[in-house]
Amino acid sequence: MTNFYTLTQTELAEAAKEYKFIWLTLFFVILGVTQPLINNYMDVILENVGGADGITIEPNRPVPSSGEVLLSTISGQFNQIGLIILIISFMGLIASDRNSGMQDFILTRPVAIPSYLLSKLAGHWLISMFAIAIGAAVSYGYTIFLFGSFSFSDFLLFLLMYSLWILYVISLAILISTFIKGPILIAVTTIAVSIFLILIKSFNHLVFQLSPGGVLNVAENQLLPGGEVNHFSILSCGVFIVFNIWLAKINLNKQ
Amino acid sequence: MITVEKLHKRIKKRKILSDVSFTVAQGECIGLLGPNGAGKTTLIKCMTGVLHYEQGNITFHSKPIAQHKQDIGYLSQHTDFKPWMSCGESLRFFGKLSGLDAVFLQEAIPAVLEEVGLKDKEGYKVEQLSGGMKQRLGIAQAILHEPQLLILDEPVSALDPIGRNEVKKLIARLKKRTTIIISTHILDDASAFCDRYIVIKDGAISGTIDSQLQHADRTQVLVKTAKTPPASGIWPGDGVAYIERLSPTAFLLTGTEQLDLKKVVHDLDAQELDVTSIEFYEKGIEEIFLEMVSDT
Repeated sequence: MTNFYTLTQTELAEAAKEYKFIWLTLFFVILGVTQPLINNYMDVILENVGGADGITIEPNRPVPSSGEVLLSTISGQFNQIGLIILIISFMGLIASDRNSGMQDFILTRPVAIPSYLLSKLAGHWLISMFAIAIGAAVSYGYTIFLFGSFSFSDFLLFLLMYSLWILYVISLAILISTFIKGPILIAVTTIAVSIFLILIKSFNHLVFQLSPGGVLNVAENQLLPGGEVNHFSILSCGVFIVFNIWLAKINLNKQ
Repeated sequence: MITVEKLHKRIKKRKILSDVSFTVAQGECIGLLGPNGAGKTTLIKCMTGVLHYEQGNITFHSKPIAQHKQDIGYLSQHTDFKPWMSCGESLRFFGKLSGLDAVFLQEAIPAVLEEVGLKDKEGYKVEQLSGGMKQRLGIAQAILHEPQLLILDEPVSALDPIGRNEVKKLIARLKKRTTIIISTHILDDASAFCDRYIVIKDGAISGTIDSQLQHADRTQVLVKTAKTPPASGIWPGDGVAYIERLSPTAFLLTGTEQLDLKKVVHDLDAQELDVTSIEFYEKGIEEIFLEMVSDT
């Protein structure tokens, strides 16, 4: 356990030295602000940027609800471009240690492989959620200012569920890192698998709902209730995370 | 102290180590020699518990090596610390991972930095250090927890002559109190401190070289004569095993043990061959090594 703390602390210190807390947070804040602003000022934007000839904005169009705006921020911004940047930011989480010889240094100590892998998971989850939470909070602020109130507890529940999805994506990157050596290929594979999981989560079948992306349905349901949700997907996501780390441990042990 | 028995290792179906067995006694300094790609680093990674192996046993004081990570200090081939850490922070990080408490580290870190010649560098960032200094810091992290066995993978290969000299002196000092296994392909460096050499080629042990180099055919004497030398065969004199006629006026004596040159001259005189020149020739460790790993 001491080794887990030491390794996690080092991950966080390294992220701080690389200004990851700052640039990643800024990035998510920008993403978080963009969607409510675009939704609210679409007609002004179209007028000013030009090239809008022939486009008619329906003056009586329905104003989206706060939940809808928050949902489009998360599904359209955070879970697409945000997720890609996030994965790129931690694509070297195992690969850089392996290539620099640091992994050998660490694993020749009395350090259990699960401690090493869990420190990577915890460290990068904390870094990611720090940036995502601030970005989402800013987005929440803008959204309720422009589109009306939204339950803060539902927003927090959404963040909690979404953090589980992020934890899964990091565990996936860890697992893939034990198979593939090149950071770019690790990122591409992780992004491809994540997008695939996001695509299949909406299919109305138990297998898809209980896939790792199923937890996103639960998260999104906090923002816009009404969809069909299987709460067992929270549990299944946890099981998939444990499975990824277990398989990564076996793979690292074999090498 | 450490026993490797019938070790086999494959990586992606390619045989890397095959039936490797040897033992290292306490207090010994062993050189693990072999050309690049021979399997030295893989063997070392198996010995340090980093790599899994399919068959065989590696025991440390008769117990599985995995139970003795605390007793092993390791320096990898490519020493690379977190560049943003200071020397002190790096050692504290590795010390904590080795289970050392903060109070112990408070005293141990300045002491170990002094030992490796980096006394005033505790606050220096790793990225500010030269190659030789980084390597000495690497050795510092390997000895910080006072291990019984020190495993150094190519500790001097990537260094300039000054850096090499610094690290060699340090290893020579450490040899007095720790069992050491050094992997290298720079034989001159290894000969400065190794007691014994294990030669590995294509993943298998080719043989061992004793540090005293009392090797059967290590010493040779090239003799030129005015008269025709005797035919190839057993030399009648003491301490020389065989004779090889090279030309009508030259032959080679190959020794079975350390040759006494005076005695050889006396024997040659007794043969009345009218010796015109004698060249005493002693094979170096490098030549012995090359013969062992050569394909022909």
